[in-house]
Amino acid sequence: MEEQTTDEMNSTCQYFIDSTKYYFSHATKIDSTTSVPYLKRPEVLALKDYTGMISISGNHKGYVYISGNEEMFAELWKFFTGTEASKDDALDMAGEVSNVIAGNVREQLGKDFMISIPIVFQGKPDKMKMHGDNMPVYVIPLEWNGHEAFVVVGVGEN
Amino acid sequence: MKLLIVDDSIAMQKTIERHLNGYDLEIVGTANNGKVALEMVKSKNPDCVTLDITMPEMDGITCLENMKKIKPEIKVMIITALSDKHTGLLAIEKGARGFLFKPVDPDDLAKAFDSLLNRN
Repeated sequence: MEEQTTDEMNSTCQYFIDSTKYYFSHATKIDSTTSVPYLKRPEVLALKDYTGMISISGNHKGYVYISGNEEMFAELWKFFTGTEASKDDALDMAGEVSNVIAGNVREQLGKDFMISIPIVFQGKPDKMKMHGDNMPVYVIPLEWNGHEAFVVVGVGEN
Repeated sequence: MKLLIVDDSIAMQKTIERHLNGYDLEIVGTANNGKVALEMVKSKNPDCVTLDITMPEMDGITCLENMKKIKPEIKVMIITALSDKHTGLLAIEKGARGFLFKPVDPDDLAKAFDSLLNRN
């Protein structure tokens, strides 16, 4: 595999930032703010209560996930459905947000940027070995409507 | 008209249901993957479908092809996060009436329902 340049990694990370900001601004009409991304150290999980994760394959490999508190996903659920969220509903919401953030990046990375169905989980899994662990992983801190979350991007060219 | 909602996200299913007020659409079922959707096309005989693409068991494009074999006149609106032009064109080529990119807001959904009901 050819090594990615810093510019390539930065532009890929920027696609996910743009996709995340568009998700919140378009769907909820409430803008999100993102802070400067930083490189995740391998021993740090960067996880909050609820996580929705997408595996990437095709012309790229790796993963992207969004992790936030239950309250954020419950609020999003209520915003969209008009009903109170159960814990399962909040998890479903985490999966759907991850799906849309990853799927929208195909506009820039093309049809061969393949995304999986979402994997959702609560808390910190005992074991978290992910495809793409050997590539730089960026953490994008996110704030939406008073809630803090992370979008974590570990995506490289295949 | 009878509507089938196909999406593996319950949040998305309920979002679509919520914004159906004012449209002559009766929800006859919801499905969370393409295989279940095909069974429901046979058993519930919907006139139109909102269809996600990225789903377990059977993806939306494969499901669309098979739906059209079962009921060629069925009206299908693709609602997907896959925002590249290729996916939209492929959906139209396979017989979708239109496509809508997620994330969606109520105005987007209204346009999708209008299209399904030939209002525009």
